Amino acid sequence: MIKSNKTEQCNYLIRLATDRIDHSFPCNQDQQLIFFTPGEEISTQPDFLKGHGTYVDQQGILRASVAGPLEKVNKLISVKPYKTRYQGEIGDVVIGRITEVQRKRWKVDTNAKLDSALLLSSVNLPGGELRRRSVEDEQSMRRYLQEGDLICAEVQSIFADGSLSLHTRVLKYGKLSQGIMLKVSPALIKRQKTHFHNLTNGACLILGNNGYVWIGANFTDVDRSDGGFTQDLSRVRQENREVCARLRNCILGLAKSNILLSDTSVTYAYEESMKYNIRELLQPEVQLDVALLTHQRLVL
Amino acid sequence: MAEIPLSLAEKTFILHGIDADFRNDGRSRTHYRCMELETKLMDQVHGSARLRIGNTDVLVGVKVEIDTPYPDSPGDGKLEFFVDCSANATPSFEGRGGENLANEISNVLALAYQSPDAMDLTQLSILPHKKCWKLFVDILILECGGNLFDAVAIAVKAALYSTEIPKVKCATLDGGEADIALSDDTYESVKLDTTNFPILVSLYKIGDSCVVDPTSEEEMCSSASIVISVMPNGRISSIVKMGYGSVHPTTLSKTLDMGTKVGIELNNEIISALKREDELGLNREIIGFLR
Amino acid sequence: MPNDSKRINGPDATVPYSIYTNLNSESSELLIKNQLQFRVDKRKHNEFRKMFIRIGVVSQAKGSAYVEMGQTRVICSVFDPREIPNKAQYSTQGELFCEFKFAPFASCKRKGHQQDAEEKEYSLIMQRALEPAVCRHEFPNFQVDIYALVLDNDGSALSTAIMAASLALANASVPMFGIVTAVTVVIYDDLFIIDPTYKEEALCLKTIKKLKPVNHGIIMQAMLSQHDQISEFFLTGSMDINFVNSSIDILSKTSNEIYPVLQEALRKSILKMIKKKNQQEK
Repeated sequence: MIKSNKTEQCNYLIRLATDRIDHSFPCNQDQQLIFFTPGEEISTQPDFLKGHGTYVDQQGILRASVAGPLEKVNKLISVKPYKTRYQGEIGDVVIGRITEVQRKRWKVDTNAKLDSALLLSSVNLPGGELRRRSVEDEQSMRRYLQEGDLICAEVQSIFADGSLSLHTRVLKYGKLSQGIMLKVSPALIKRQKTHFHNLTNGACLILGNNGYVWIGANFTDVDRSDGGFTQDLSRVRQENREVCARLRNCILGLAKSNILLSDTSVTYAYEESMKYNIRELLQPEVQLDVALLTHQRLVL
Repeated sequence: MAEIPLSLAEKTFILHGIDADFRNDGRSRTHYRCMELETKLMDQVHGSARLRIGNTDVLVGVKVEIDTPYPDSPGDGKLEFFVDCSANATPSFEGRGGENLANEISNVLALAYQSPDAMDLTQLSILPHKKCWKLFVDILILECGGNLFDAVAIAVKAALYSTEIPKVKCATLDGGEADIALSDDTYESVKLDTTNFPILVSLYKIGDSCVVDPTSEEEMCSSASIVISVMPNGRISSIVKMGYGSVHPTTLSKTLDMGTKVGIELNNEIISALKREDELGLNREIIGFLR
Repeated sequence: MPNDSKRINGPDATVPYSIYTNLNSESSELLIKNQLQFRVDKRKHNEFRKMFIRIGVVSQAKGSAYVEMGQTRVICSVFDPREIPNKAQYSTQGELFCEFKFAPFASCKRKGHQQDAEEKEYSLIMQRALEPAVCRHEFPNFQVDIYALVLDNDGSALSTAIMAASLALANASVPMFGIVTAVTVVIYDDLFIIDPTYKEEALCLKTIKKLKPVNHGIIMQAMLSQHDQISEFFLTGSMDINFVNSSIDILSKTSNEIYPVLQEALRKSILKMIKKKNQQEK
């Protein structure tokens, strides 16, 4: 690896393609993973139940319809595609961005096949009132949530066409304030009991199941009693900013090396990255180094 | 550029960060992201280069052809830029969607290379009044992740640096008709004099300060940007203001000073990177899109 | 030049006759400087040409203006806000659509009927110069059309067009933050020449390649003088950074001098309209 011999003050680094590094590294395979490509034969036995990602052709042979590893649960065979859009499940925590304001609902982009819907009846009104939604509420929807706003919500139900219905009824959900939003592949988010993490370094991290990750910059407990619609726009302190930037670079580095994101992996990566300064974390060699060290700590 | 809507809080966070000279990813205002450059990656063209900054990916190919010079500049060759925003980059570029952006980029490039100080077109002349070389510089935007102008300009400079024009063995006027003989050896070629080729530095005004190399999110927070074309000797060959906002004259002066400094250093870095690539020799492994 | 398939075009293989005359012979650097030292119309270097402005010339347009700077003549029309075609998303700001065109007979070399790359570029520059001045939040989701036509091009066509456009916008009662003034300056070596003619522009765009590069080029600056804000800055050529900074000062000062002229022209046109209305009522 040819590391640049420039000092920290250098603002410009142009690398050559021959210096390109591979971000994937081998790790121990616990189980034998069998990969299939579209059209490949899985099995000819007729008593398997076909799940997602498979189809049966005219001769009765079970074939894969997407590219990915095989998942077998008793008699159910399915092929999980390697890279997909987020498939919602009820109870998932997602982070979304408002794309449209419609009558009685907002359309939210959650990295799914279709835009999710946030119904007016599924949000808490500002002031925390509990009442039937009126016509004035419909007309002032834009005052609560506008196009471009980020929200944290939970999947309430799934419509017939596959799109999700979200709700922010619990006080910990709602409009997100200052911070950084990142997009990673949904497959990299580990399913855990809770997706809201207040890390030891003080940052507030939300790992949405849909692949959107939120690093919150306001470290004090946000007062959410008014329905979570007010935003704190005051200046964030420099130390908090540095923590957020470091977290951001670590998460992007982990995502590049396909390491599952969870609060433990992110915390380990953060600790391992302390020996570099934040700017250096943007370089591919450093990212690979941090990812390797994190992986080692996770495996132990 | 693909528009990413941002919430007011995100914009405020970015704004305050840039004010404190500490951006979302830890860079300072004058820090570029890591760039990757490769030249001569394509076989069918006379010069090529590919540049990646962050999520932006630009591919440039240079082809030379023989043409008749313009009647009012008989001793000059021709240089034409053409930008294509591929639908690969974002669905909004499909069909004629990317046309406005493509026109802007090619116009700014044409302006930057227009002065004889920057590009001396007489080096492209074969027989004045009769034959000259015409360089077609075709730029393909494969991925759009912010800061397109800078990426395109650096890739163009690298591609022109790597361009090999076939050597003209003899060029004579035979009874009013031009008779040109090119060298048989395909490796015998002439390189362009790229010492003064400019690069574009775009400075985006966010809040009260200017940044270079913004990410797409930072671009959304900016109301105006100044694109300066800086030559290696520090001279400016074109300035265009982009964006829908206005700037104060003192801000403009400060921005231009910052841009010139950045441009000179970046130019030096590009030349040294291209020289490093040359040192790897003719048998260098061409990576291109593999790995 | 793009071919217009709907019209009958002239023969393709034509060439302007000027290449055969001695008017375009290669000038040495000294000659260029001498030619620029004494301007043909006996103006000083920092003097701009006398302006003639008439507002409300096009009856069918909501607002219009005709501006003459010496021999450069530009007419501009502005039309009512209309819905933006092909726009699905809601936006809180209105848009400006500018079209800049040289008449085919306006310059030395005949231009086609369709916009070529240079005119498209000037249209974009004009749009960017006027956008900061217009109160776009007053007509969200609508677009205002501005069409500028250069009837005669004797230098500084773009800056004249921008001024004509801002007067036409004012005449059309489009809410604005201020009037945009635009100035062009040409630089050669250490000379700053304000409001150049076509010949002066052409001289400053070329230079002989020498050991020491010579400052040369054109700068166009559009400004909102009342707020001291530059709305568009357009430079082409090859210059030192210090020169550029000093030209910004010169351009800003000249803009401040031009602004009262535009203001006065607008005032006169309003007074005329009021008088006409009073007469009609009688």
